[in-house]
Amino acid sequence: MGKYVCKRLGMALLTLLIITFLLFLLVRIMPGNPFPSERMSAEQIANKRAEMGLDDPILTQFIRYMGNVLQGDFGKGTSLYNGAPIRTVLSTAISNSFRIGGVAILLGTLVGLALGITAALNKGRFLDGFCTVFSILGVCVPSYVFLIFLQYTFSFRIPFFPYFFDPTRFAFSSVIPAVSLSLFTMSTIARFTRNEMVEVFDSDYVRLAEAKGMYGRNLVMKHVLRNALIPIVTVLAPLVVDLLTGALVVEKIYGINGIGKLMVDAIAGEGIDYNYVLALGILYSALYIGIMLVVDLLYGVLDPRIRVASKGEEA
Amino acid sequence: MKKLLSLMLALAIVASCAIPAMAEDKYLGVMLGTNVMSLDTNLATDGDSFEVIADCIDGLLQMDADGAAVPAIAESYDLSDDGLTYTFHLRDAKWSNGDAVTANDFVFAWRRIAQEAGEYAYMLDEIGNIKGAAEIISKQTDDLTTLGVTAADDKTFVVELNVPVSFFPSLMYFPTFYPINEAFYNSLEEGTYGTSPETFLSNGAFVLEDYTPGTANLSVKKNPDYWDAARIQLPGIKYQVVGSSDNALTAFRTGALDVVMISGNQVAAAEKDAALSQNLKVTGAGYMWYLSFSQTDKNAQGGKLANANLRLAITNAIDRDNLVDNYVMDGSLATYTAVPPQFAASSTTGADFSADQDMFADYVGYDPEKAQAYFEKAKEELGVDTFEFTMIYGNNEGDEVAKVAQAIKEDVEDALDGLTINLQPMTKAERLDKMQNDNYDVALTRWGPDYADPMTYLGMWVTNNSNNYGFWSNAEYDQLIADCTTGAYITDYDARWDAMYKAETLVLQEAVIAPLYTKANANLITAGVEGIDFHPVALNRVYKDTVIK
Amino acid sequence: MAKKELQLQAPAAPYVPVKEDFVLLTKRDIHTDTNFASQSYWKGVFTHFFKNRRAVVGLVIITVILLLALFGPLMNGFGYRDIVQYRNEKNKRVVAKGISPQIPAIHRLLTGEEPEGNFADYTFLFGTDDLGRDLWTRTWYGARVSLLIAFVTIIIDMIIGMSYGLISGYFGGAVDQVMQRFVEIANSVPRLVIVSVLAIFMPKGMGLVIVALLLTEWIGMSKIARAEMLKIKEQEYVLASRTLGARNGHIIFKEILPNTIGPIITQVMFSIPTAIFTEAFLSFVGVGIVLPQCSVGTLIEDGFNNITTLPYQILPPIIVLALLMLGFNFIGDGLREALAPKLEDM
Repeated sequence: MGKYVCKRLGMALLTLLIITFLLFLLVRIMPGNPFPSERMSAEQIANKRAEMGLDDPILTQFIRYMGNVLQGDFGKGTSLYNGAPIRTVLSTAISNSFRIGGVAILLGTLVGLALGITAALNKGRFLDGFCTVFSILGVCVPSYVFLIFLQYTFSFRIPFFPYFFDPTRFAFSSVIPAVSLSLFTMSTIARFTRNEMVEVFDSDYVRLAEAKGMYGRNLVMKHVLRNALIPIVTVLAPLVVDLLTGALVVEKIYGINGIGKLMVDAIAGEGIDYNYVLALGILYSALYIGIMLVVDLLYGVLDPRIRVASKGEEA
Repeated sequence: MKKLLSLMLALAIVASCAIPAMAEDKYLGVMLGTNVMSLDTNLATDGDSFEVIADCIDGLLQMDADGAAVPAIAESYDLSDDGLTYTFHLRDAKWSNGDAVTANDFVFAWRRIAQEAGEYAYMLDEIGNIKGAAEIISKQTDDLTTLGVTAADDKTFVVELNVPVSFFPSLMYFPTFYPINEAFYNSLEEGTYGTSPETFLSNGAFVLEDYTPGTANLSVKKNPDYWDAARIQLPGIKYQVVGSSDNALTAFRTGALDVVMISGNQVAAAEKDAALSQNLKVTGAGYMWYLSFSQTDKNAQGGKLANANLRLAITNAIDRDNLVDNYVMDGSLATYTAVPPQFAASSTTGADFSADQDMFADYVGYDPEKAQAYFEKAKEELGVDTFEFTMIYGNNEGDEVAKVAQAIKEDVEDALDGLTINLQPMTKAERLDKMQNDNYDVALTRWGPDYADPMTYLGMWVTNNSNNYGFWSNAEYDQLIADCTTGAYITDYDARWDAMYKAETLVLQEAVIAPLYTKANANLITAGVEGIDFHPVALNRVYKDTVIK
Repeated sequence: MAKKELQLQAPAAPYVPVKEDFVLLTKRDIHTDTNFASQSYWKGVFTHFFKNRRAVVGLVIITVILLLALFGPLMNGFGYRDIVQYRNEKNKRVVAKGISPQIPAIHRLLTGEEPEGNFADYTFLFGTDDLGRDLWTRTWYGARVSLLIAFVTIIIDMIIGMSYGLISGYFGGAVDQVMQRFVEIANSVPRLVIVSVLAIFMPKGMGLVIVALLLTEWIGMSKIARAEMLKIKEQEYVLASRTLGARNGHIIFKEILPNTIGPIITQVMFSIPTAIFTEAFLSFVGVGIVLPQCSVGTLIEDGFNNITTLPYQILPPIIVLALLMLGFNFIGDGLREALAPKLEDM
């Protein structure tokens, strides 16, 4: 296993390098300007580009950039917070998004599993129907609509939670965004759990377990849920990445300084901020690749028959 | 579920009782429309950043409630007889680290602006006409001492100009001209100036209390060492970035914010509410929205929009009253002049340059029949019956822009049979990029005044100006503008004023642009908050006289 | 008890078991198969599907939405881009904007009086938007775009996503490595970046939206299909099939695919709203459909911008989307049960 993980990590670095290079090229092709201006002359803009090294051959630029990144320097913005080093801006945003997203993931997964199991055990009855409607609404209504609803109800009508995000009262003021962000995950997990469990209930081995006299919580937890978990983990993984990297509209409405808003500001704000797009792209890809590796390893744990690694690599 | 609800309710009641009556030194809660992008005067380009910078730093002069330039760090100033040398006499003022504010702080800051040659460097050369600025900005020289600014002594700051600039004092309250403490700046790690309260010095009414780049909430608190500290009543200001005007309205109603800006639909809702309508205050935002037409062969079906009659047809087909009454709805003014009203007044008569909106009624107005007549003429001249143009507009430039674009499309297609306008949203940056590279037909765009003189608009349509997005060229116009900025009229105030009217006529009789409306801001202000100065130019909100009663 | 009686009888007759001999330990009902054996597979699927009441309800919902999308915009005099307005005596335009749902006929019936006020005698079933356009017309006009997106998503998921995942999972090893690294690359370039670049080379509009969906929309599905494949390919029947000499294509699509259908259908259903909102986002940034055209996604976004001042505006598109999803889910569940013969509902 250790050998396999090492190999995967090596591959991950290579993939990350390819992605970074691709992004490096694409942002330069995108329409728009890293130095948006209505008052600078063409000459001034050309000077700015030259100062940033944007006129050098693309490979020279890329190697220089990667060299800086390896030293932990992501440069600074060209149109976004252009005085400050990206590292400082990003660290606050990461801390905010990760913490709020983390709570949303936990909440969504746990409640989603509970809902799904309840629905599966009550298949065809009222609770099952309720769960179906809940999960459909949860994916049809965008999280920011839930946010406005919760904000309106619990910060305005009943003024209990703060109306805007307040970093000095982090836990308290992240309840509303975390709950609204969790609903999509909750619905998806609930639906997948329900459908998977219903299917597993009907499989031969559960029949066998039932025939052997196994029932109740023991049966559900030991046999049914474990087997249903593989697709659940699979759908959960990209949701985890999405939640950790923030949600634009929720962050914008609730006043959270997070990754989602930063990304859209970097691409579609005042100008295209090459350095921000790249830094955020590297962050997102690294997270995605890492979580996919974890998922592949989890498969083997959940079902020992599954071997993602090919034969020689398992040792 | 019921239990849960009643528990929540009980908690809520306990919580609301637990919050004590507001403490006496309550900060003013103010909404910002966008994040503060930079607190460095060299890098800041947006109104929200300028506002926060101006809370903390005083320039040589400051704005009074009416927007006139009055003394700040400079106690007084003298102007030489030839109008070319300003000598500012500085008062005793302190930076928040205890250093005295000296003439050298201005020399350092201004040289830095010229050297870095950023967005607002043009205030030094094109607008202010400061000696040597153009050469440094265009990198012809890197000798910063050639800039016409000198510190005669610690308290005397001298500026030399190339030509007399009648509105020069009014530039001095613009943040680009604010000082920076050189010793402090040099003590910081590169790139960290203005990124936290520790790396930012204040000499103004407030000091920075809480700020990180990218934050959605920041605060400033009263500066006890401010030279005019007795004037400042507010204990501090707490800024909150609010991303949607719908949310701003609710935030105001909860009391979370004292000053918010709302847009059309929310204004309509607030006006219906007896209590809220008391809090509504409309202020001029200064900038004018207009249509720009590309007049080169590259676009618009091989340059069809170079035909003045076609442009006149479009500008006469747009019902501007309908735009502001039904779609913008925030008190914005329908505009029929190339220089918008309410920002530039004559210093001899005090009259607003564009007070008379019917001045150009022959060329700009709403008259579908006249539009049709122009259209027939254009069709004849061009030998074509159908036209199809794309209109680009920004999707991140305010709630009303998409509505306005659609209303214009309906009006124009209604009045001019055979003309189709396709809408194309994009980011503001991409729109500017397309306009600057002449890669568009029609654009819905805007311009805000940088200083209180009609030239901030009229200067745009000079041949080869970077803001002349229509690529229009007229020798007579160029001559008039040259006379007003560097030539015959610079010392004759009234003749200059008249020449500018002549220039404006040239722009409008050929419909180089189609003016649409002058934007206003609809603010909601908590009862008891008084003395916020709103300005259409440079600094939108100033809190030096603000009190909470 | 039947057993004992039988034992007393003559041993010559062999024992024939009867249904009562077997009792289930658990309480769940298990239906016995009555018609599967006697019919061909697809005929069976068909029969089972239409016997499922929820599946039929789902089909009806989708049909009604389809019909309304086709004919709804024609059912009153308003076009999707018509602004309802008139000029008053001062020659000022009065626009029917921000009118909440109203039906004058009901008003007359209830009060016996003519409704009063501007536009009070117009029927606006869903109200009007903030430009003064009828939302009934716009909602159904928008449903056309979103239905198209939904069907395209289903096809992308079922063809690209499923095959990609199944193949990657089945072959494993180096093939899987390369295919999964490709997924990571495809997924990591922000959609806004790739779409903006694409927009340089092809016209903006629905075509571009579909290309954008083609680029990344199948990834979720491929992950699910791959996970199922990894789970199933180690089972005995696959080994048996391979031993008997079945070719890979046969094993993947004929032997394993039918056993992965459950999670695949669930994934298809849940990727539809995401795709519909993706279209709305792309349209907002200017690479999708342009105003005054609309889709369910863009209508929801418009409604959201005025949610506290014109709250009725967001309801019709959300309800249409939810009904669409409910319909698709019922159909999906019905299909799942009809396609997989092992399920108890057979």
